[in-house]
Amino acid sequence: MIDYKKLGFKCGLEFHQQLETHKLFCNCPSIVHDDNPSINFKRKLRAVAGETGEVDLAAAFEQNKDKVFTYESCPTSSCMVEFDEEPPHEVNSEALDIVLEVALLLNCKIVDQIHFMRKTVVDGSNVSGFQRTAMVGIDGFVETSKGKVKISSVCLEEEAAKKVEDHYRLDRLGVALVEIATDPDIKDADHAKEAASIIGMILRSTGKVKRGIGTIRQDVNVSIKGKERVEVKGFQDLRSIPVVIDNEIMRQQSLSKSVPEVRKAEPDGSTTFLRPMPGAARMYPETDIVPIEITDSKLKTIKLPELLTEKAIKLEKKFNLNADLAKELIKEDIDIESYVKQFSKIDVKLLATILTAYPKDLKSRLNLDSSKLTKEHYFEIFTLLNKGEISKEAVIELMADAASGKKIDASRFKNVSEDSLKKELEKIVAKNKGASLNALMGEAMKHFRGKADGQRIMEILKTLI
Amino acid sequence: MLKNILPGDLIEVTTLDNKFLGKYFASPDKNHLVLKLDSGYNIGIKKNKIKGVKMVKKFNKKPVPKVKLDIKKGLKNVSILHTGGTISSAVDYSTGGVNPHFTPEELIAMFPEIKEIANIRSRLVRNMASDDMRFAHYNILAKEIEKEVKKATQGIIITHGTDTMHYTAAALSFILEDLNVPVILIGAQRSSDRGSSDAAMNFICATTFIAKTDFCDVAICMHKSENDDFCVIIPGTKARKMHTSRRDAFKVVNSSNIAEISYPDCKINFLGKHKKVEDRKLKLKLLKENLKIGLVKAHPQMFAEELNVYEKFNGLVLEGTGLGHFPINKIDEFTSEHSKIFNKIKTLANKMPVVMSPQTIFGRLQMNVYSPGRLIQEIGVIGNYSDMTPETTFIKLAWLLSNHPKEVKEMMLENLRGELTKRLLE
Repeated sequence: MIDYKKLGFKCGLEFHQQLETHKLFCNCPSIVHDDNPSINFKRKLRAVAGETGEVDLAAAFEQNKDKVFTYESCPTSSCMVEFDEEPPHEVNSEALDIVLEVALLLNCKIVDQIHFMRKTVVDGSNVSGFQRTAMVGIDGFVETSKGKVKISSVCLEEEAAKKVEDHYRLDRLGVALVEIATDPDIKDADHAKEAASIIGMILRSTGKVKRGIGTIRQDVNVSIKGKERVEVKGFQDLRSIPVVIDNEIMRQQSLSKSVPEVRKAEPDGSTTFLRPMPGAARMYPETDIVPIEITDSKLKTIKLPELLTEKAIKLEKKFNLNADLAKELIKEDIDIESYVKQFSKIDVKLLATILTAYPKDLKSRLNLDSSKLTKEHYFEIFTLLNKGEISKEAVIELMADAASGKKIDASRFKNVSEDSLKKELEKIVAKNKGASLNALMGEAMKHFRGKADGQRIMEILKTLI
Repeated sequence: MLKNILPGDLIEVTTLDNKFLGKYFASPDKNHLVLKLDSGYNIGIKKNKIKGVKMVKKFNKKPVPKVKLDIKKGLKNVSILHTGGTISSAVDYSTGGVNPHFTPEELIAMFPEIKEIANIRSRLVRNMASDDMRFAHYNILAKEIEKEVKKATQGIIITHGTDTMHYTAAALSFILEDLNVPVILIGAQRSSDRGSSDAAMNFICATTFIAKTDFCDVAICMHKSENDDFCVIIPGTKARKMHTSRRDAFKVVNSSNIAEISYPDCKINFLGKHKKVEDRKLKLKLLKENLKIGLVKAHPQMFAEELNVYEKFNGLVLEGTGLGHFPINKIDEFTSEHSKIFNKIKTLANKMPVVMSPQTIFGRLQMNVYSPGRLIQEIGVIGNYSDMTPETTFIKLAWLLSNHPKEVKEMMLENLRGELTKRLLE
């Protein structure tokens, strides 16, 4: 057991989340795709003397490599703004609104007038040699089970280009991001995961952030007493955060001399060196963009959404669902109320389970691709179930049909009538004289799986023996 | 509230609902105080929300580390004259101001490669946006060049804002008669504060070009394409800024580039014949600084009134459509204004030289093909068969009026500085 307090554990989190809108400084769509890039160009970057007159440490590190950077791009997803051949256009107002919404949800104070800055980046990932970023919110907080975690800043910034082999692709460059940084208020490794999941939930609550792999990145800053701060990047998912933090603590403990550095979280829970920690002298004003005043009347136009956690609790209460099922419905963005309205005879819990758990079962048990199931498939199956024409046991079988590209064939599962069910069951009992109830049940289910309700079969069998 | 507080000072600002610690940052905004926070971010704080400002620490500007300038034997002496613009300025990170960097030491600090290429002298002539340039500035530059030539410089680099750099290049081409050193103008389309600036490459290529060749003329050195791989040397009278923002904004018009320079290895490839250094004496043929030259563009729905303003001018350049036309035909009840335009041009052409130039930029005037062209020539408009850009035509007219006022008509179509191309290949 690690005694975090005794170690002088200090930890803060940083998030980069892509926003669901067009690029921040031009009218290109924020789409990442793999078309054949038809635009290619080559650039060199020079380290530029920073605030102190010295060339910034991180900048110098890259400059030593004396590289020629090659860029490729599709005409559909980037333009001269990304090629650094045209100054930025007006700031995407939709992106600014989303970041204001996030900042307010994180209880931040909004900066009176936001100023875009140029943050020097010379690894080639920004064609311009800098990333544009502006501080929008400060001094916020989120509540966690271990107390408040303060939010030091919420910034609006542009994404960097994506490295592909030995060059950069520009489709991602300029995509609008919200950057959230917490104070070093994280108490232990598990707390880091909890805070990260709360902030992630708040981001998703807006419904205006991108979803899917690579659209959110978490960085963790870790240090212990007597050792320098290390930034760990590249977490695959939240679950790996505690392990990586604990491993990083142990690594730092074993060092006789530590330096501030940026490290990468590896899938095995260890970290590897990426680059030295960039210095503070790398930020200066983006003179191509005028400062933006955030007035009180502007803030009044920002509508705050209900948090996903609140939504889940509401569902839980309204339909008497268990907490996990409610959360799952929210996470999957399933509008259960509309299903309940349409298919009123189906139990809500069953509906929710079919919509959330069954697709996963298809994958894990039958190795089928549930994404092939369309709304229409669900509608067809629910209609049969709602009319009582099939039993709930048939549902997964019919979903399997759809997932494997076959037509949904309910005929083999059409419920047998009470009369014929009884007759058939009598036959089975007669055939298996002396068999236990369980054995009879097993035999009966072979015939009637999906065609009759299991509970009803049991009831009839009980009367027959 | 901000008494005695200077940019760079660390201050504590108390507002109605918050407290900020940061460096005071220069800003033209009257309603906001701009603070550079410890994180590096700037924020604007509404001044009417501020309750108090407290000085925490006065700014102590660290002296720029001195670079020692050795004169290296075997290297050419190159003089750098700065006129301002993007290329020779740098952001002061602590105060937010943009300051020119023009001393040799500052230049060497920004572009250390230079000291291996040439021994440089450097000074600021003016610090201005190129849009503010007037004929007086061309004369000042010419005189400064002459001074450097007298001090035995072997080449001149002029750093210049890009917007009107082609006018300056044309002006110097005419003013510097019997030029005996190369004069290369350079600019930057991306500011030198950023890693991706084109300033260094343009500067290094221009310096190398002077250092390694016997070229002797006025030219512009800028990017060849959007790649950082080649610079081109464009003749001073045949260059034009053809893009608002791209690195390769400058293009040669109706001629060909003089040379290409690869980067970073700086191999020079001449693309044709070039003027070479010879033993001759530089003469300054300056521009008259009070000259009024007009430049007016033909367009649909034109009114004769638009030409009224030129009555008291010394000369006028017309930017004609197509092969050299203006709306001068009365063809129906809607075009009677065109007779007025025709008469107006006639009046002006009687008073001053009126010169046609192509608003298409590329190609040659051919004013005999259609009747408007012939009619315009008949009333005294000159310039037929010219392939000069409107900008070069404008400068040449000013120069002729300054130095050869009686021979404007004859000399306008005489090739003096490579401004006219007899054979167009594209």
